[in-house]
Amino acid sequence: MISNFIPGLIMIITSFLLPTIPQYFRHPAMLLSVGLSALSLFNGYGTFLEWDILGLNLILYQSDSLTLPFAIIFHIAAILVIIFSWHSKNLMEHMATLAYAGSAIGALHAGDFFSLFIWWEATALTSVFIVFAGNTNAAKDAAMRYLIIQVSSGVLLLIGACLMLYKTGNHNLAVLDLKTNFGIFIFIAFGIKAAFPLLNGWLQDSYPESSVTGTVALSAFTTKLAIYALARTFPGTDSLIWIGAIMTAFPVFFAVIENDLRRVLSFSLNNQLGFMVVGIGIGTELSLNGTVAHAFVHIIYKALLFMSMGAVLYRAGTTKASELGGLYKYMPFTTIFCIIGAMSISAFPLFSGFVAKSLIMSSLGGMGMVLIYFILFFASAGVLEHSGIKIPYFAFFAHERKNKVKEAPINMLIAMGIAAFLCIAIGVFPKYLYQILPYTVDYQPYTLDHVISQLQLLVFAIIAFLFLVKFKLYPSEIRSTVLNSDWFYRKMLPGIGKPLFKKIGILTESLYKNLGLSFKQVLSKSYKFSNLSYIKVTTPSFAGTILISILFIMLVIVLV
Amino acid sequence: MKKNDLKSMGKSFTKYILIIGALLILLDFTFHRHEYFSFAEIYGFPAFFGFVSFVFIVMLGKWLRKFLMRKEDYYDQ
Repeated sequence: MISNFIPGLIMIITSFLLPTIPQYFRHPAMLLSVGLSALSLFNGYGTFLEWDILGLNLILYQSDSLTLPFAIIFHIAAILVIIFSWHSKNLMEHMATLAYAGSAIGALHAGDFFSLFIWWEATALTSVFIVFAGNTNAAKDAAMRYLIIQVSSGVLLLIGACLMLYKTGNHNLAVLDLKTNFGIFIFIAFGIKAAFPLLNGWLQDSYPESSVTGTVALSAFTTKLAIYALARTFPGTDSLIWIGAIMTAFPVFFAVIENDLRRVLSFSLNNQLGFMVVGIGIGTELSLNGTVAHAFVHIIYKALLFMSMGAVLYRAGTTKASELGGLYKYMPFTTIFCIIGAMSISAFPLFSGFVAKSLIMSSLGGMGMVLIYFILFFASAGVLEHSGIKIPYFAFFAHERKNKVKEAPINMLIAMGIAAFLCIAIGVFPKYLYQILPYTVDYQPYTLDHVISQLQLLVFAIIAFLFLVKFKLYPSEIRSTVLNSDWFYRKMLPGIGKPLFKKIGILTESLYKNLGLSFKQVLSKSYKFSNLSYIKVTTPSFAGTILISILFIMLVIVLV
Repeated sequence: MKKNDLKSMGKSFTKYILIIGALLILLDFTFHRHEYFSFAEIYGFPAFFGFVSFVFIVMLGKWLRKFLMRKEDYYDQ
């Protein structure tokens, strides 16, 4: 019976039961539900559950060699998040986190686009509560914007799925291309969640506004679900190579000047997704293995880095570089764990990033893609800059700290310790990771050529950092906002739209006056609306209106 | 006393990194490093590439502040 139960569903059911469970038993219950869901990992490959409804055959639970590694790492991430948040008593956040992780795991096992759509929206609707739980005004605003963007992605996916069914009679997950209009809709839907260039604003907008523990949960699932979906439906799509390359290179410049270290990590997340997207674009067995391996190790070290910054936020009250420094004395374990995460993401040999990134670099090298290869090599220096050096340096070193703070709580240290252990274990024994990858590929990451080449790059990039600090060329930390692609809908559109709407309002009113009618008479039942000062266009609702209008227009164009 | 801690740590870190850097360059002369692209096999190429990329990223990022940096409460205004 359990073998037919959709993985992740037990976690969602448990999340709804959490309010009935005493506080003391909530975390054990959450862990138990993840454990029960993880039993599905032993079911093997195949289709386990289908549902015929409204003449459609929905594949609710299927598993294959691409699903498995993602399912394993999503379960590991869920466990890490639960341990990390053990001290917290925020019920809403716990419920949202467990349901969110469960939805993401459910999504991995969907076998058709309609089932995927349901889970796709479920991850959006559950995770928005995690952003809400940041519990500041900024977090609430960011949550609204996040919801609009995420739901829009789902709507595009639904449009794509409907069109596909209409045109081909098929709605199962399959390899698509960009020559069909439904392919384009689905591609953009995935692209929004994968934070493609210019579609990435939501990520850096919302993740840093979440709570100490919330950001860790957010960093693991949404974007990697999108990577999984892209790997399943668009492998070998050439444009992904360039999209990915741009994603690796551009965020590094933003990360240099960003002051909030959790936002720096969000830019870094974007850059890491770029490597995975390039791997999907190449589309060979080696490169797809690279993408999956990279997603796997990335979830662990990115969670580790977000956990270390969560611990800093929890103890020091901020993650702004301009107000931190010198924490190594008070938070030695957190410092060590953060450095392990930093060395992993920077791809130092013997750390997990090295054994995963090598697969993608080798597939690029093997194909002779010289330009993309060096863009990614360049971006590797960028990763070292913002995640390898900037994060640990400004949080834990930089300058002496005056106020004492405590080391992170024990549950946080345990979660960070497990993640740090995995980072090193995978780096030292990559064969266990390689065994669970979708394709059997005999690959040896530790060749002398490769190790020396990577070490030269990293060590001399560190020397460049020391050189820039020595000569005071390294940019100082400044409290500021760095403009990102969310500027278009947070400032530019309202900037154009608000005066425009006001103008239209005034014009309409004068039109009515000229016709001898007062606005009041026409709308006598809703007097309030006749007074223009009552019409307040808020940014989220305005952005929402624009987005829905665009989606509607696109739908009309396609149907016509 | 406290100030010396970070400073001395920084100094010894710099010393070790420079030694490791020098060793890596010397190692390059002891064997032929195979790369996917022949020009990357030049002695010390990854080291040079790493150094230049890093400086370029930081300097360009710094310059971009002119266009991208706003006050902290920019979106609240």
